[in-house]
Amino acid sequence: MGVYKLKKGYDIPLQGSAERRVEKAPQTTSVAVQPIDFRGLRPGMKVEPGDSVKRGSILFVDKQRPEILFRSPAAGKVREVIRGERRAIQRIIIDVGPDSSEKFESYTSSQIDSFTNEKAKSVLLNSGFWPALRQRPFSKIADLDKSPKAIFISAVDSAPLQAETSMLLEGHKKEFQLGIKLLSKLTEGKINLSVSSSTEAFFKDIEGVELHHFSGPHPAGNIGVQVHHVDRLIAGEIIWYISPRHVAQIGTVLSRGEYPGSKTYALTGSELINRHYVTAVEGALVRDLVSTPISTPKQRVISGNVLSGRKILASGYVGFYDDMITVIPELTGRRFMGWLQLGFNASSFWRLFFSKLTPKKKLAPNTDMNGEERAFVSTGEYEKVVPMDLLPVHLCKAILVEDVELMEKLGIYEVAPEDLALCSYICPSKIEFGSIIEKGVLLMEKEG
Amino acid sequence: MKFLERFLNNMDVKLKQSPFKIFHPMFGALNTMLFTPGHGTTTGPHIRDSIDMKRFMGIVIFALIPSIFVGSYNVGAMAGVEGLFAAFMFGFLKLLPIIVVTYAVGLGWEMIFGHINGHDIHEGFLVTGILLPLTLPPTIPLWQVAVAVSFGTVIGKEVFGGTGMNLLNPALTARAFLFFTYPGNISGDSVWVAIDGFSGATPLAAAAASTGSAVDALNSAGFSLDKMFFGFIPGSIGETSTIAILIGAAILLITGVGSWRIMLATLIGAYGMALVVQFFGADAAGGMRTLPAHYHLVMGGFMFGTVFMATDPVSAAGTNIGKWIYGILIGVMVILIRVFNPAYPEGMMLAILFGNVFSPLIDHFVVQANIKRRLNYGK
Repeated sequence: MGVYKLKKGYDIPLQGSAERRVEKAPQTTSVAVQPIDFRGLRPGMKVEPGDSVKRGSILFVDKQRPEILFRSPAAGKVREVIRGERRAIQRIIIDVGPDSSEKFESYTSSQIDSFTNEKAKSVLLNSGFWPALRQRPFSKIADLDKSPKAIFISAVDSAPLQAETSMLLEGHKKEFQLGIKLLSKLTEGKINLSVSSSTEAFFKDIEGVELHHFSGPHPAGNIGVQVHHVDRLIAGEIIWYISPRHVAQIGTVLSRGEYPGSKTYALTGSELINRHYVTAVEGALVRDLVSTPISTPKQRVISGNVLSGRKILASGYVGFYDDMITVIPELTGRRFMGWLQLGFNASSFWRLFFSKLTPKKKLAPNTDMNGEERAFVSTGEYEKVVPMDLLPVHLCKAILVEDVELMEKLGIYEVAPEDLALCSYICPSKIEFGSIIEKGVLLMEKEG
Repeated sequence: MKFLERFLNNMDVKLKQSPFKIFHPMFGALNTMLFTPGHGTTTGPHIRDSIDMKRFMGIVIFALIPSIFVGSYNVGAMAGVEGLFAAFMFGFLKLLPIIVVTYAVGLGWEMIFGHINGHDIHEGFLVTGILLPLTLPPTIPLWQVAVAVSFGTVIGKEVFGGTGMNLLNPALTARAFLFFTYPGNISGDSVWVAIDGFSGATPLAAAAASTGSAVDALNSAGFSLDKMFFGFIPGSIGETSTIAILIGAAILLITGVGSWRIMLATLIGAYGMALVVQFFGADAAGGMRTLPAHYHLVMGGFMFGTVFMATDPVSAAGTNIGKWIYGILIGVMVILIRVFNPAYPEGMMLAILFGNVFSPLIDHFVVQANIKRRLNYGK
């Protein structure tokens, strides 16, 4: 067991964590599967509006790799296929009807033991959960033809208000173990499972994994950071990663022979009155999950956490990889002499506001940028929130001038936008590190 | 307040379309100073730190206030004005026109370039506009200030693309310009006291000119260590009082706005080099080489440069290791210039500009080291 005590990083003190109780969502009217959740995916549709689908029916496939299937999380009728710019398919909406499920073959633990690599791959592809497996570099769906040097699973909940892994997996330990067994057939290397002191108890008797203990502020829970410390990526190598919740869902398909009917979400954020965990169908409508009334001009709904989640509407749907919804106040307008405020309630990493004297006080910041974009100022603060041997400013500058060779040398393969999200948060020049990294990753993909 | 906000919002739109749109960068700066810009996040992170450049630069100006006060008082006291308030007012009225000219001319240039490049006036100039006057003697002719600010802003900053892109510290560029073009008004013995025809050497000049022990020369000229520490000596307006600068340093360090690495490294570099020089200079007949190391720290522009100029995050080295090297380089250079270059008893300005020029090179090697570590990983 590796022990990693990270010092760098920052936990933003935020109001609105979820209470540790699980409720069932009162209703589920519609669900969506959203191709925009998957980086670079071009979907090939298998259904049309009006078609009836069962839970587990194929909705679309990856056009480049038709073996990669995307299945419906609920039974019902396809209502709409929503397209965005250049007619790219954004989401497929299904009105939920009476439940019925496609049948899958079920396997026992010892049957999985005898799987070959090929067999394991085809079982996972058929389950519809291959897309849950992503790769670094590029944070996209794992490449079928490549074999990863290791698989990483992070059960370290460090992101702001993050859903607790142990709550999401409650009662699914057996399925998790089964999922791990299948994954172990996919790589010659190790399965690295990172835990924190709060999740260690849940995972300590899981077999077939290498446990790593991570402690420290966010982004200690990020895959990129953990890979950097445990088994760093060198150019040409890839790793695969998957969330613990998806591992358990794979286990569910394997043991029960049907597509999982529900999953657990955390409802968080200062604007929600009732904050707790909720079980619902995957890809559920936000309004169905949240009992607090939300109006989107006044509140921001985020699928995921405040740092790396995606802005959606109250009439939107939770993303495939997300385990939580965060609702925070929207920007209220311009503030008089904002730069002179004493800042007793100012959310800040810097020691420039009085809120720094009460570091434990939880705050409820809104979506104000709190400033305008300026040139980079190399204060040395960025490095304080990046627990990797990496020069964030120099990497970003290399991306901005599109110097591919330099980007590679400075570690573009090791990062995803989420890993530098805190740099954007603390930046006095309001530089969008995440967008810059995204641009760099796209450029690297194009260059091959 | 709502009325004012609506008025500004209206103005913002109208001014952009009017023939006076050249004034928009200035208006934009004022507008966002009165009310926050009010832009929301569009992508993650959905929340942002409360800090912005206005706050950041505002802290630097706040940290300069002690130097402004003590410096103003000292200008009056040196000129023989009696009474605390009277002396302060005398000095402040010398300083104020310099600041006004600096801001007026500098902001004018900023406005023109802001108009050309399509952005508002950036906050960096607010600091430059205070820093430069504090490094000048109280007797400086205002037209020279105007010329220097123009040079510092245009050649020192805007030709590189504006705030954040400049290689050299614009305030120091302006001062260096004055130093080399009008040396009679910024060096020598007659400019430091705001009385016509009065001649008073700075401690540095006195020490450099000494034929015996430099400390004896300083003492006989009335420059005791504590006088120099508190700042009751002739010199540039804001540079004389070490204690006032240290209060400012404390503000910069507590808030994290100034780099402790650069400040500490410059101190170490200068003190270390001064010890070396003193060790080998023990047998010298006189002059700077006989000056004890700690004297260097309270004389001339050393402390002001260390705290406010070397730490300029734009022209300093950007990497953390680079900041150590950069600071030490400046510290060593300032002592070398002071001791071994008889033409310039004050070396801080040149040492920092020297450091500025080298900082991209220093960063280059730090970046290369990072790349090397990455390449060697797993081998």
